[in-house]
Amino acid sequence: MIVGAGMAGSKLAHDLLERQRNSQQAHMDYVITLIGEETQVGYNRIMLSSLLAQDISDAEMPLVDTDKMQKGGVHIISGDLVVSMDLESKVVSLSSGQSVAYDKLIMATGSRARVLPIDGAQAANVMGFRTWHDVDVMTSLKEKQPVCVIGGGLLGLEAAVGLVKRGHDVTVFHRSDWLLNRQLDKESAELLLNRLKGMGIQFRLGESPSAFIQSDDQLVTHVVCENGEHMAASLVIMAAGITPEITLAKAAGLQTNQAIVVDEKMQTSHADVFALGECCEFEAQTFGLVAPIWTQINVLIDGLNNQQARFSIEPTPTKLKVSGVNLFSVGRIEPIEGDECIFFKDIGANHYRKLVVNDGLLVGAILYGNVADGSWYFQLIQNKTDISDMLELLVFGEAYCRPQVA
Amino acid sequence: MTATMTKTTCPYCGVGCGVNVTVPSSGSDSEHDKTLDLKNIPPVSGDTDHPANFGRLCVKGSSLAQTLHSDDRLLTPVVNGDVVSWESAVDTVSEKIAQVVKDHGPDAFAFYLSGQILTEDYYVANKLAKGFIGTANVDTNSRLCMASAVVGYKRAFGSDTVPCNYEDLELCNLLIMVGSNAAWTHPILYQRIVEAKKQRPNMKVVVIDPRETATCDIADLHLAIRPGSDAAVFSFLLKHSVDAGVLNNTFISRHTNGFKETLHQANESCSSLAFVADFCGVSEEALLTLATWWCDTPKTVTFYSQGVNQSSSGVDKCNAIINCHLATGRIGKEGAGPFSITGQPNAMGGREVGGLANQLAAHMDFATPGAQELVQRFWQAPNMATENGLKAVDMFQAMEEGKVKVVWIMSTNPMVSLPDTAQVRRALEKCELVIVSDCKAHTDTTAMADVLFPATGWSEKNGTVTNSERRISRQRGLLPPPGEAKHDWWAICEVAKRLGYRSAFSYQNVHEIFAEHAALSEFENNGKRDFDIGHFSGISQQDYDALTPVQWPVPKGRPQGTKRMFEKGRFFTPDRRAKFIPIIPSLPVYQATSEWPFTFNTGRVRDQWHTMTRTGDAASLTKHTDQPYVEIHPKDAKRLNIVDQSLVHVQSESGEALLKAKISRGVSPGNVFAPIHWTKQFSNAAVVSNLIPQVVDPLSGQPESKHAQVRLEAVTDASYGIVISTQPLESLDFTYWCRVPSDYGYRYEVVWPAGESVASIRSLFSTSPSSKEEWLEYTNPKTQQIRLAQIADQKLISVVYLHSKPVSISCDWLESKLVGNECLSDSDRMAILVGLPANVEDKGAIVCSCFQVGSKQIEKAVASGAHSVEQLGASLKCGTNCGSCLPELKNFIPIKTEVSA
Repeated sequence: MIVGAGMAGSKLAHDLLERQRNSQQAHMDYVITLIGEETQVGYNRIMLSSLLAQDISDAEMPLVDTDKMQKGGVHIISGDLVVSMDLESKVVSLSSGQSVAYDKLIMATGSRARVLPIDGAQAANVMGFRTWHDVDVMTSLKEKQPVCVIGGGLLGLEAAVGLVKRGHDVTVFHRSDWLLNRQLDKESAELLLNRLKGMGIQFRLGESPSAFIQSDDQLVTHVVCENGEHMAASLVIMAAGITPEITLAKAAGLQTNQAIVVDEKMQTSHADVFALGECCEFEAQTFGLVAPIWTQINVLIDGLNNQQARFSIEPTPTKLKVSGVNLFSVGRIEPIEGDECIFFKDIGANHYRKLVVNDGLLVGAILYGNVADGSWYFQLIQNKTDISDMLELLVFGEAYCRPQVA
Repeated sequence: MTATMTKTTCPYCGVGCGVNVTVPSSGSDSEHDKTLDLKNIPPVSGDTDHPANFGRLCVKGSSLAQTLHSDDRLLTPVVNGDVVSWESAVDTVSEKIAQVVKDHGPDAFAFYLSGQILTEDYYVANKLAKGFIGTANVDTNSRLCMASAVVGYKRAFGSDTVPCNYEDLELCNLLIMVGSNAAWTHPILYQRIVEAKKQRPNMKVVVIDPRETATCDIADLHLAIRPGSDAAVFSFLLKHSVDAGVLNNTFISRHTNGFKETLHQANESCSSLAFVADFCGVSEEALLTLATWWCDTPKTVTFYSQGVNQSSSGVDKCNAIINCHLATGRIGKEGAGPFSITGQPNAMGGREVGGLANQLAAHMDFATPGAQELVQRFWQAPNMATENGLKAVDMFQAMEEGKVKVVWIMSTNPMVSLPDTAQVRRALEKCELVIVSDCKAHTDTTAMADVLFPATGWSEKNGTVTNSERRISRQRGLLPPPGEAKHDWWAICEVAKRLGYRSAFSYQNVHEIFAEHAALSEFENNGKRDFDIGHFSGISQQDYDALTPVQWPVPKGRPQGTKRMFEKGRFFTPDRRAKFIPIIPSLPVYQATSEWPFTFNTGRVRDQWHTMTRTGDAASLTKHTDQPYVEIHPKDAKRLNIVDQSLVHVQSESGEALLKAKISRGVSPGNVFAPIHWTKQFSNAAVVSNLIPQVVDPLSGQPESKHAQVRLEAVTDASYGIVISTQPLESLDFTYWCRVPSDYGYRYEVVWPAGESVASIRSLFSTSPSSKEEWLEYTNPKTQQIRLAQIADQKLISVVYLHSKPVSISCDWLESKLVGNECLSDSDRMAILVGLPANVEDKGAIVCSCFQVGSKQIEKAVASGAHSVEQLGASLKCGTNCGSCLPELKNFIPIKTEVSA
């Protein structure tokens, strides 16, 4: 039983089915149940930004073919919510009233947008940007409305771009001094800022809204800035981080911290319960990007099949899914003691590169503008390639370094 | 467009090669079109009819077309910084000369001339000074080049006569090359020797040189002697000739004097093989090998150059060589003789005219009985000088003492070439009027001038030059003089006329000067003097213009000239016998001390000539060696913590220089070497004459320019960089800089103190507020690199690379990005900070200048199977034009055992 039919849950169900199909092993005889609270199941959440920005259509949204999965025997329950779990008797109860038994339970409950503790944050026109439904709400907004996005991280900026492309007046509040402060340094963020300003987005950096002003019908009408200014807002998007959804797990008595604590086999504190995706926590880290989650799926499936597999944390590159804006960030981008930074800066051509090296290893990279070498740098980091001989030309990319490597 | 092909003579070394230049005629007379034409003249070719080179050309000669256009021509007369008319400048000069001669006597005036001016220029300068102003203060940069060879010949033969012919280099069976790196300095003669040795592998070549040079490539034996010890080798050969019984006693008794005393001295000075080997710092075995070959080989030519001449005992060294040839009768014969090779295109012409302070005219000296009266009569001269004037170093010392008050420097750069340039500066500062005739506006010497006369350059001058084998050839004007540039002879005659000597200097055409020079050479000669070109005394302009190369003497009745001298054993001493000179070999005046431990030697690089005033205009000629360097043995370098290409501070008692280290086993431990070419126009502290003390040979006055005692120190507070810019840098505030001539824009190799920042580097460049300016930046603390590029309106303006260590970066691609109208692509913008686009082959350092083939290309060809220089030539073309890179190409070929192993 997989609780949660987001990307992690849907993909797990799909892959488990595939593995079962391709396997000759007799014991791989699963009955898979996939339960999701959303009405849409198995879509590619990552593409919501592109959908919002009208870069793609609904037809391009599915991550897995749910029809095919159902024909293959996967039992999909959508639009229904698990309300409680009894780990001893191995039964879960749904809001629709039915109870479903399981042998192995996998928690894939994901996360929710973090809601800032501001009065009015519960208003109907204050929302996250997590689901297809969220996109539907945004797309149904009347024309040229003032929209406030809180959070200048990847999600916030993607929402802002999507909304500004739909003709709205978008203002982004960002608590840090520069955008994408976990992915970019100040100088590259400056390039991004200029680019996004060029698209028409307005920014309030180093600032969080101090309050919302609500109308009689409880809808937020204005956002109060730190200087007291009231800024009109028909919609507020909360994109100031995510909170792992662990309510059920906690209630069921699983060990949790920020999220559900798992070991390298994705096993929780309970032997028959596993967790993966944004709701799990491994070595004090939680996960928001898709790459490690795909690894977790493989580890989990291998484990279920009694195969050796261990999950470990690897650096994961991030990109901003805004067409025309190329940025790439991976690894440790702010140097710590012993690190050194190699820079290439062509501000005029919006091209910026920063590499963080430690000893003979590349440990982090920011690319802005031209990101063609991103995957190569990622490989160098992942493979722990000794780059001592390439130091001189490393920042200029693979084309310059390849002859030296050979 | 029509084009005219003209035969002329190369302006560089003393080989005197014939070159063909094709000048397209300009379709329009506008200045703009002329400039375009100059930049698009097809490459010159060797003249197949010229007996010096038979069509061959070295890389310097091959690049002549690139030097026809210069951005730095002196185009108008200048007096005290103001542009003036010729008339006014001539007035200023002649008034001052008249005044100092009246107040202080004629010796207050001096000419300092050059082996690069033509015989006709020389002739009128000599005539004006020695016959009309009344001073023999006419000296020349040839003093620095072959004055010792002149005195050596005169002591032995009674005349300054080069006995040989270039053919002898090909006909001999043993060639002893002494103090010559002909492979680089006289490449065409070297190529002829290489070819001869290929045809006759039994021909032996011995190189006597403290350094292992490119010339050693063909040597069967190299004697890396202690600097300056050459004479002992030849005294030993003389002694050994007696022991081996190879003396030509008939020749000695019939045609010479002084053999007994000379042999006695040789026995005294070089008592044993062991002593000589120790004195010269070579093995006994090597000396014996040379001695055996010498004794076994009647057809021996001794080929000597600056390494012999530039010495405090240069004349003695020459005579030690000549003694050996006289004792064995190896002179005046095919394939035998003592052959001095000069460094300049017309040092020989100057000698013929008498354009040296210790000569009168036409191979007559002041001491020659009756000569003064003869010349006076011929010239109808009112004020004949009566005794020797001041030789170069003495002249500049007299200037500092205030004795010489007006100097006229013509076509030479004494601020770079004379020893102890600090003294030369003091002299020129003290001198009341410094007149400089030059075709360049900015040289280290024009910077010292009160009056500048714009002179015609090689491609405009018209007249004759004489090469090292006495061959007179025409230099022909190919192009109209730019601006107000005039021929040197014309300027001298204008001043002479203004001084009141109108009738004696009213030449209408240059051939009239040549005819007069010829007439003087035959005047009351009757075979008494070697130099007789009487055949030309009545030459017409037409015949002069059609003159084909001919070796003097060319007396009346012998228009074909003279191939070889002394064939009958008759010399030009009063008794017609050659003279042996007893020689006591001696070492250079200064020897190593603990304070000045290194012996400093000077010389030339392959692709530059003199002070780069012409070769410096050809960007391709900088590819072989782009910066001044000091060559240091690896052992010494290690001890001093000097790494290859790093900056070295070289100091002597007289001065200092900043040079890049070249770590090489070509020099012996304790010895260092530096090339002479770089001036203050090209580098801030690379004038190596600074380091040389003013020590001269007592007989020839030639400075010991190849010897100083120095100390070396690594410059440790240094980061290394290049600057490439469309504009010359306004401020050159670097520890070290060297401007490397480039086809596009300006390139500087620089050294900064360590720790420069991006901001401090940016501040070097002016920003133009009118254009949209951007900076590209690369910083790498791991490699301590900073690279910046300045871009304005999408065009590259400047590039700076800074590294903690010296690195070689080939700049051709970068420089090419300084021009062109298309905007830079994004990948170009990145490549600018790399130095190359990702898909372009890095050639490495250029080895073959003719075809611009680089070391990395050659290495690749060798790796893919080219196992001979010929195969390299077939695949890359390298070495197939002038051949001067062949010795270096050979070094790329693995030795046979490695290949077969």
